[in-house]
Amino acid sequence: MTGRTPGDEPAGIEDEVARTTSPVTDQAVAGPPWRRLHSRMIWVDVAQSVLALTPGAFAVWVLGVEPGDGGWWPLIAIAAFGVLGAVSDAVRWVFTRYRVTEEHVEARTGIFVRSYRSVRRDRIRSVDVEAKLRHRLAGLRVVTIGAGQQSAAGEAALALDAVLAEDADELRHLLLRRRPAPVAFVDDARPGDPVQPGDGGEPDDGGAGSDDESGADGEEQVFARLRPRWVVYNVFSIWAYILALGLLWGGHWLGTTVGIDAAGFVVGALDWQSLGWVRTAGIAVAAVGAFGVVGMALYFFVEYWGFELARVPGEKGTLLRTRQGLFTTREVNRDDNRMRGVEIAEPLLWRWMGAADTTVITTGLDVESMSSAATILPRGPIGVARSTAAAVLGTDPSPLQTPLARHPRAALRRRLWWATGVTASVAGLLGWLAVTDVIPPPWVWAGVALWPVALGGALVAYRALGHAIAGQYLVVRSGLMSRSTAALQRPAVSTVAIRESPLQRRLGLRTVSAMTSAGYGVYEAPDLDADDAVAFATRAAPGLLDPFLVQNDRTA
Amino acid sequence: MTTESTESPAGAAVRLRPPHHRVERRALVWWTVQSLLLGVPILAATIVGYVLWEAARPWLVVVMAGAALMTVVGVAVEPRWRYAVHRWEVTDEAVYALTGWLVREWRVAPISRIQTVDAVRGPLEQLLGLSTLHVTTASSKGAITIGGLDKDVAADLAERLTTITQQTPGDAT
Repeated sequence: MTGRTPGDEPAGIEDEVARTTSPVTDQAVAGPPWRRLHSRMIWVDVAQSVLALTPGAFAVWVLGVEPGDGGWWPLIAIAAFGVLGAVSDAVRWVFTRYRVTEEHVEARTGIFVRSYRSVRRDRIRSVDVEAKLRHRLAGLRVVTIGAGQQSAAGEAALALDAVLAEDADELRHLLLRRRPAPVAFVDDARPGDPVQPGDGGEPDDGGAGSDDESGADGEEQVFARLRPRWVVYNVFSIWAYILALGLLWGGHWLGTTVGIDAAGFVVGALDWQSLGWVRTAGIAVAAVGAFGVVGMALYFFVEYWGFELARVPGEKGTLLRTRQGLFTTREVNRDDNRMRGVEIAEPLLWRWMGAADTTVITTGLDVESMSSAATILPRGPIGVARSTAAAVLGTDPSPLQTPLARHPRAALRRRLWWATGVTASVAGLLGWLAVTDVIPPPWVWAGVALWPVALGGALVAYRALGHAIAGQYLVVRSGLMSRSTAALQRPAVSTVAIRESPLQRRLGLRTVSAMTSAGYGVYEAPDLDADDAVAFATRAAPGLLDPFLVQNDRTA
Repeated sequence: MTTESTESPAGAAVRLRPPHHRVERRALVWWTVQSLLLGVPILAATIVGYVLWEAARPWLVVVMAGAALMTVVGVAVEPRWRYAVHRWEVTDEAVYALTGWLVREWRVAPISRIQTVDAVRGPLEQLLGLSTLHVTTASSKGAITIGGLDKDVAADLAERLTTITQQTPGDAT
């Protein structure tokens, strides 16, 4: 349809012309030629093979390591891994074709199992352009086309690995600029749109579109750029230790291969015997931790170098774009028409320093994956997270800053009961094991010591609870280890559920869940007062519950 | 904004009325047999273990008691309780179901967001002439399942819902 519009304009004047040109357009629909991935990939593969063989060659010719030594096999493994990877990559290049037609993006690949995939262009929700170091050196990019795959069903996005950087840019523009299907929900809080969200609820798909087209001439709005001090929020985590231990082990192993005894150096550096094991352990933990922190800091800068979050115009609707990376660059574009809200999570252990993770609630993006495309900011201060989220949502006042209603004290009692119950069962189990001589009796006290911790957790979890309705958005906050505040567009709520367990019934509590097609799929307000629960559910999905409501005839 | 309208001025709280229809009485049999099919094999396995494996007796007793309790509750209490709770209703705008026994759940899904409607019949349900209506929405967590319906009622409902869904515009996300 849209592809023909340029040809249709003269057709309105001269029918003959239209008829003669139509076969041409039909041919275009029948298909542009299939294209290969870029041939420079082969050179990258050759270079990778050479690189993979280098350590082995270096060891043999320069260091004079005898083939057959113990350290020899890892070098062979590296060489074999690198060369096989390169060869299979080259084979993949030979058998892969792709093309972009009017309606679809199609890709064929595979030798023994030929696979054909097509993605409808109006279903495309994100186009990521990524480049590993080897791609960047060769001027290549990997283009990943996301079309709302069901991540639960194990479907992967369509990836073109790799095309020229210019082609990648062109593809991205081509695929994201055209948007033929009308979109169910228009983000009526457009940036730079001073009109109040509720103002007439203008049915202006066209109006908003033309607005954007006028602003489409490269006008982009930058919400956030990397601030080096954010590194502080990203270095302290258990990953620091895992990273440090991995690096140290790798270094030690590499050292022994070429004959450097790093462990011996460390053992000889201090008189460990006289220090005693407590100090030795302390020094080890501190040293490994410090090493890990430095590693995490380096990792952070490598990952987020040049980070920028911006809203850029597309032809219809805008895109939320992040760019980041020092060696491996990554650019993710998210269709704003698919955005249903924003979520800010504050991890418990770093709440004192105000660390927060910011993600968008979007349909068709996988929230569970590690390098989630839903993440729009590196972990950083909560203030920046809040203001950026507000700017991204474009509503004023920001739903994430509305004061949230506290939940009834009964919600705290429910958590205290659970904490006590869990402690009692753990202590009971340990007690039984102690009686039957499986474990020594003092261990039972460990179970009892759990109680204050659990009660503290109950209090923290209770204090995290909150809910509110703010304009177009419903806002819920909950979570013990990670307190997450989610603002979700109310029109995006589909199913609404109210749940009541026996303990909740006794305490007069109910949990309201708002299901949606975006993000985690369900956003809960746990333990509302039973009457408030119905009122909140009614407002969470306007109009849905109305036919099933009755006035509460019992005297309150 | 009109968001405050649902809170009635007098402060008299509104509540959800239960859906109109109960499930079939035959569902009692269905739930009972399901509990037996789950509980009896576990109970049998623990008894066999108790007899054959002497060293494990002290803790197998606990497992056995648990399995016995679960089976008895599942047969004597759960089906009747469920029958008293379970209700459903389908209007032109929404599908509404109340399910559960210990934990109760009210679920409402708007017809405009329905993506698929299935009437599923397992072997037991086929024997009893029952059917389970499975309604999914664009949300992976938002499905509504109504079990213990008469097979003809469920088939009619599935057909009706499919028709209404097809008439509703939009991509239901």
